[in-house]
Amino acid sequence: MRKWPISLIAIAIFAMAIAGISALKQEPLYHTQSYVFGTLVDISIYGEPEERAKQLANQVLQDFQNLHNQLHAWKPASSNQPSELGTLNTAFANGNKPINISPQLATMLIDATDLSVKSQGLFNPAIGHLVSSWGFQRDEFTAVNIDDAKIQALVKANPRMTDIVVKDNTAYSTNPNVKLDLGGYAKGYALDKAAEYLRNQQVKNALVNIGGNIIALGQHGNQPWRVGIQHPRKPAAIAALDLADGWAVGTSGDYQRYFTLNGKRYCHIIDPNSGYPVQHTQSVTVLIPPQKNAGVLSDVASKPIFIAVAEDKARTAAMLDIQYFMVIDQQSNIVVSNALAQKLEWLDPEVKKNSHVKLVTLP
Amino acid sequence: MLSLLRSPKPTFKHMLIGDWLTIIFSVMLTVYLFQTLWSHEHASKVQIRIGDKVYAAYDLNQQRDIKVHGAIGDAVIHISQGKVRFSKSPCHNQYCVHQGWLTRSGQAAICLPNQISLELIGEQKPYDSLNY
Repeated sequence: MRKWPISLIAIAIFAMAIAGISALKQEPLYHTQSYVFGTLVDISIYGEPEERAKQLANQVLQDFQNLHNQLHAWKPASSNQPSELGTLNTAFANGNKPINISPQLATMLIDATDLSVKSQGLFNPAIGHLVSSWGFQRDEFTAVNIDDAKIQALVKANPRMTDIVVKDNTAYSTNPNVKLDLGGYAKGYALDKAAEYLRNQQVKNALVNIGGNIIALGQHGNQPWRVGIQHPRKPAAIAALDLADGWAVGTSGDYQRYFTLNGKRYCHIIDPNSGYPVQHTQSVTVLIPPQKNAGVLSDVASKPIFIAVAEDKARTAAMLDIQYFMVIDQQSNIVVSNALAQKLEWLDPEVKKNSHVKLVTLP
Repeated sequence: MLSLLRSPKPTFKHMLIGDWLTIIFSVMLTVYLFQTLWSHEHASKVQIRIGDKVYAAYDLNQQRDIKVHGAIGDAVIHISQGKVRFSKSPCHNQYCVHQGWLTRSGQAAICLPNQISLELIGEQKPYDSLNY
């Protein structure tokens, strides 16, 4: 037999290696973006045939839209029919007669009440009247005339989740000043629903992002899903982290919904105790380990930490059993829990050099 | 060297199939590696999405204004030598315009009311999704 020249063998090996690299680059990843929930929804599905991935993603989007119509705090579901939440709010305002609600809404109200109590009222979806008087129950925000007396009165009216009585799929409120705004809960709930749906459909690997709240299923090929955390003052990520199967991450910031008046920023996160938008914090990020309501926690848990003053933030996180959290204050100083610090890779050049910002790691 | 130039013929004659394959292959390898590994520290393209559709991707190494029609009106996206920004938008709050220049791969600007997003694309995506 004729001996093959060494060059031919080398070429064959090279060719195979290159073909291999090229094949790896064609990964089975389906990615789609849509505008639902008044925000951007971004879904990635890995390892499913494209047609199926597309169908699954569309179903998830459809479910989001339905939930959005059901829970919208200020928009009717259709021209002559208010959303389920709108109907309930009208009933709350008109007295304490129980009205029928869907089992799904009943479950949400009970769960949201638990979380509100656990956060000592800092997470309070009952302050819809405050939220709307600050002008945040609109699609676009304009500076409002700040009516101190009205705000004082709304705080004094003391609307709380515990004023709501839920029984046998009916609900009423003992306080007519309760107006529900599930803006800090619904997206998280939708995330959990999406994860549950995809798991039931035997999807192994997916990443679902609703307006910044993200949950992971499985991983991205042979690597974990990787998510960036938005810098509150730059159009870039400040850090990135791996999101393993079942983990969720959420950020509350003063940069997505706000208006400025006389040089001051008024964001959509309102301290229920003062009735005023929080001005000491730029953003709070929480990372939630796998559990049944990881999505809800990723949405809810960042709010009380955001609202609490600096010296109370760590205690507030502990109150909600949150170990992984990061706070960026109004001076852009960063406080990060040790557990989260170990998972973060800093991307921002200033943070990397540790200039202009103070990075504090909590024990 | 000079002798090679003066009499190329015998050199080619003595080349075997393996030599030819080596030359062809080397050229292919060079082209391939150039395309894949050429450093993209800065992003090379901006991808514009309108609603749930990818509208277009533009090279960043140019100077131009792109007018796109979003959900509530026309926005202008300005590309200038390696960077891109929203320069005009019909939205009320102008958050997208205030975001300023995007320069690095993975950076994004979103205009929620007008349902337009810009994302800088390089060879490597630094992350799969952004938490904001």
